[in-house]
Amino acid sequence: MWNDIIFAVSSVATFANVLAMSAGILAGVVIGAIPGMTGTMAVTLALPFTFYMQPVTSILLLVALYKGSTYGASISAILIKTPGTASAACTILDGWPLARQGKAGKALNMALVSSCIGDFISNISLIFLAAPLALLALRVGPAEYFMLMAFALCMVASISGNSLLMGIVSACLGLLLATVGEDIYGSYRFAMTEDMKGGLSIAPVLIGLFALPELIRMIVFRDGPQGKAMKLGDNHLTLAEFKGSFKSIVRGSFIGVVLGAIPGIGPSAAAFFSYGEARRSSPNRDNFGKGELEGIAASESANNGCCGSTMIPLLALGVPGDVITGVMLGAFMIQGLTPGPLLFQNNLNEVYMLFVGMIFSSVLLFIAGKLTARYFSRIAAIPQVVLGPVVLMLCIYGIYAISSNTFDVTILLIMGAVGFVMLLLDIPAAPFLIAFILGPMFEDNLRRALAISRGDLAIFFQSPISWLFAVLIVFFLAYTVRWELQKLRQKRAES
Amino acid sequence: MINKNVIRAVLITLFFGLVHFVLIPLHVPRPSFIPGFAPPPDMWPRVVSLLGLGIGLFSIATSVLESRQGVSHDLTASLPVRVSKGAVVRLGAVVLVFAGFAILLPLLGFLGSSVLLALATFLLTGGFRYRTLAVLLALFLPVALQLFFANVMYTPFPAGSWGVLPTLR
Repeated sequence: MWNDIIFAVSSVATFANVLAMSAGILAGVVIGAIPGMTGTMAVTLALPFTFYMQPVTSILLLVALYKGSTYGASISAILIKTPGTASAACTILDGWPLARQGKAGKALNMALVSSCIGDFISNISLIFLAAPLALLALRVGPAEYFMLMAFALCMVASISGNSLLMGIVSACLGLLLATVGEDIYGSYRFAMTEDMKGGLSIAPVLIGLFALPELIRMIVFRDGPQGKAMKLGDNHLTLAEFKGSFKSIVRGSFIGVVLGAIPGIGPSAAAFFSYGEARRSSPNRDNFGKGELEGIAASESANNGCCGSTMIPLLALGVPGDVITGVMLGAFMIQGLTPGPLLFQNNLNEVYMLFVGMIFSSVLLFIAGKLTARYFSRIAAIPQVVLGPVVLMLCIYGIYAISSNTFDVTILLIMGAVGFVMLLLDIPAAPFLIAFILGPMFEDNLRRALAISRGDLAIFFQSPISWLFAVLIVFFLAYTVRWELQKLRQKRAES
Repeated sequence: MINKNVIRAVLITLFFGLVHFVLIPLHVPRPSFIPGFAPPPDMWPRVVSLLGLGIGLFSIATSVLESRQGVSHDLTASLPVRVSKGAVVRLGAVVLVFAGFAILLPLLGFLGSSVLLALATFLLTGGFRYRTLAVLLALFLPVALQLFFANVMYTPFPAGSWGVLPTLR
């Protein structure tokens, strides 16, 4: 094992890898700091550029973008009271009051330190948990895999958006779209044109669904002008202030690790949960919401604490838990690697390189955060109206570069329109994408299991693993339905 | 006021109904011989579309009941601003611009059509304060991207049948 790690360190410490990680972190911080630009957008836009890179370099670039953008989102949250992504919404609660008190630099420093610690703990958890989980996954058959994917889809459908039913509708749309093209037995389905016989590629569907609807929304509803960025002011984070928040940082990091590893939950829920816990247990609880550094530490350590752990189900089981890991699954596939238990058997060197690279990137995140601190106000003030069309150009050229096929560009634009309609109708896009990516595996495992059992559905309830996932599915669905009924009753009472 | 939930439920039902009753029979052929106990290729799309159809019908029933009980769901409730006439016009313009790009692509080539698309999008976003920067970006960004992908990744970009702009290399 140590030989493998030494080999991985020497393989990762190449100019190309360090450049990819540094560029990814820096670009991620900048993109995350621009309101309206999300980490998902950063990772999806970079996907076409990774096509000709080495497999590990390309994944490290995407991971670096993810980490950078998760931290970067806190910059606009603190400086202009607009979170770069939903996961930074909690950071506003104390970040903005601190900025108004002339302590924006102190708040940003706390966000950076907590993000780096959360990220580091998350990476370590990934290293220790992914391999044993993959070993366990080697023992499961198609029926158990089907139940696992059903669980992942139910989680994503029940947590994304405001309604469980709309989450399931979104997943159904994704599953249907995934059936386009040739199936495992060679039949063509919904192949209305010659181009559709090969199925729809992941890249145009996901980029169209996640990058373009924002641009269309920007054009159609024309947001008001952005807020003016605050100055950095007091920049120094004292050791006493860090020590005072240390407990919340560690607790937030572990909350991020646990919630990040469960498909569908992700950084936003982790940040709010961690913030709530910090507020409940802190001696300074009365100062929360008025400019408390511990609040920033709790939310930022939790949202970055998810960065490594979201990779656990992806690497060990081949199941993406959120949109960003869904994009990364696409990147793995483009590079000819298949995430899942076999990755640990067939591509162990690449796995170790990825682990080492992720730890390197935690250090790079700290350096990039420190170096770019003085430019934060300018980054957060970049106008969205100029960026939107730039994003569109990057999407179109990127998609064409992957396949050299104008059909994919058309799919990109159509999916942009579909994504906008979904936004308008309040149908969440995340279940659509996860279902589209998991769809072929989901169906293959279902058909294989039914072929093995000669059509007997009891095969899905024969092993303890299947039962575990079945119980979890019923529990989470029942919990979501109960919560939605409570919301409905409240709404009725109000109206 | 438009009840968003009713419209949404009807659209969902219509879509999955169309898939189940029209598209699957037309575009998912069942082979005459299926080996062993393998489920047919239309089994999965039928299951998924039936599930979607069921949710659509259930949503129609619940949203009609809700609207009778006075729980309102404004179409624009989840949006930052209310839908205005200008917004509808701009949405139409976006559709036209995207369709125009797809039509002009084989005629003008990738570079020409993407420059036009970038200019049109800058115009639609309404950032007239930054017009100089916007025009410069619309002209130079497609050129830079085409040069990058053509030289670094050897992507062959279509020149277009009209041959207005040369293929950059």
